[in-house]
Amino acid sequence: MRGGALVAPPDRQAGVDFSQILQNILNGLSIGSVYAIFALGYTLVFSILGIINFAHGAVFTLGAYFTYALTGQRFGFNGLLSNTALPVALPFIVAMLGGATLAGLVSVLVERVAFRPLRQRNADRLLSVVSSLGVAVILVNLIQYLVGAESYSYPSNPFGLSKPAINFGSVERPIPVRSIQIVIFAVALVILLLLTLAINRTMLGKALQAVAEDLTTARLLGINTKRLIVLTFFVSGFLAGLAGTLVGASQSITGPYFGITFGLKGLGVIVLGGLGNVSGAVLGGFVIGLAEAFVPPQFVQYKEAVAFAILFLILLIRPQGLLGRTQVQKV
Amino acid sequence: MSNDHPLLSIRSITRRFGGLVAVDGVSFDVRPGEIFGLIGPNGAGKTTLFNVITGLIPPSSGELTFADVAITRRAPFRIARRGIGRTFQNIRLFSDLSALENVQIAQHIHERSSTLAQVLGLPSARRDDRRTRARAMELLELVGLAGRASEIAGNFAYGDQRRLEIARALALEPQLLLLDEPAAGMNSSEKHELSAFIRQLRDQFDLTVLLIEHHVPLVMGLCDRIAVLEFGKLIALGDPASVRNDPAVIQAYLGDE
Repeated sequence: MRGGALVAPPDRQAGVDFSQILQNILNGLSIGSVYAIFALGYTLVFSILGIINFAHGAVFTLGAYFTYALTGQRFGFNGLLSNTALPVALPFIVAMLGGATLAGLVSVLVERVAFRPLRQRNADRLLSVVSSLGVAVILVNLIQYLVGAESYSYPSNPFGLSKPAINFGSVERPIPVRSIQIVIFAVALVILLLLTLAINRTMLGKALQAVAEDLTTARLLGINTKRLIVLTFFVSGFLAGLAGTLVGASQSITGPYFGITFGLKGLGVIVLGGLGNVSGAVLGGFVIGLAEAFVPPQFVQYKEAVAFAILFLILLIRPQGLLGRTQVQKV
Repeated sequence: MSNDHPLLSIRSITRRFGGLVAVDGVSFDVRPGEIFGLIGPNGAGKTTLFNVITGLIPPSSGELTFADVAITRRAPFRIARRGIGRTFQNIRLFSDLSALENVQIAQHIHERSSTLAQVLGLPSARRDDRRTRARAMELLELVGLAGRASEIAGNFAYGDQRRLEIARALALEPQLLLLDEPAAGMNSSEKHELSAFIRQLRDQFDLTVLLIEHHVPLVMGLCDRIAVLEFGKLIALGDPASVRNDPAVIQAYLGDE
């Protein structure tokens, strides 16, 4: 960093570019870490059941709204719950964990309604696409019915940070990064770490891998697969709700369709990382986050297109995803 | 083997698939400590009966009792935990996991430390891990795969996969072991070894063994008693000598002249 400053040519433009790059990296890591925890929720369900839960984006949205309600803020005038607020106002961190927990419970309900009945009838996996899309549409409409289509913002400075931004550069060459981005990054890293440890260190994690490989055999080895599937959906929904709250805290909750683009991007992330691959989901999240952060400000409305273009290019070279393995043809 | 109080009791089990009756009113008992053979032509319903016993497929009618407890329509994982382990006709290992992990997973149910303790790597969890690992290594040793514990199961040769699958089933600490065509694909000297190995398992682990096998000489030499299925029906039951001379069995195997 210092070397860069020393050799920096007199023309000021180069210095600005350098700090811009660092700022982009930090922002990219921050949003990338949220993509990662969101995508992990997708990939956990995919890895054990081989299905995509299209209601995942709707659960993300719900999580953000739950957190909003738990902080004791009032809803607008356009829904059934117009101008109501919970009698309690929880501190933001508690509300966030509460919102994520409620999102986890909704996700368990989604499994019960949209996936389990089909699984028990040995229905084609494609059918669960339709049922989970149906649930997603119902949830989004329910949100609109209850709290209207307007956007909501969390209390300003939700994490009680003393400074709105932290300077990673010097006084002459400031590289400011919003404090909230750093908190988001930290929260996401803690979650990623806990989840990685849980998957790799615990018998539960091994049981999960076993279920992912062969559900039937896992049952015959004494693994309570039904409970494990419920647990997976809970964790998946918890991660989605947490991601929803973090994105909402960084910007705002833009309405009932808040989770739609995010849901699509999350799908892109897991495909990019390699379907069903946990480390792949994390890596994919960071790749997409960083790619978006480097989209120049004047093209910011096209950043989704950039993200998907990158996805497309990588898949042309590695159809199995970054960390996915080539499918071995089973005889 | 004078003990005739059954370990597994199969009572009038019938299983229909649409119009097909795969298992048709089959009843027999498996006594503790015996090696029991289940034979019959292809499509006789042997594997279906295994699937019914292990809970994968509920019977259309009939009752199952294992160690004096009714297990009919119980969830497969509960039946496994009660002490019924099995292997498969077409091997079903977790082929992306190591040999050790394959065996350790079956010990899942014998873990004592909490998931949180495992995440945090607390001493109780590490003790538990050492214990299951040591136990799994013993089982790998038993099947002669201890030196390859960390290899990915999918890379093993066919015969090694069969033995690993047996080690995994044993990790459940079952009372009853169901083996579905354990000798499939083996040459005659391997079949001999397998017979000795199954007897050794029975003695060492106080096991009861119920096995499906096509190779009649192996079954005759190994099993204490044999049940013969044909078109889902039990057509003979008894010791090897009486089954061998049973006219119905001879007809099922040789066809009517």
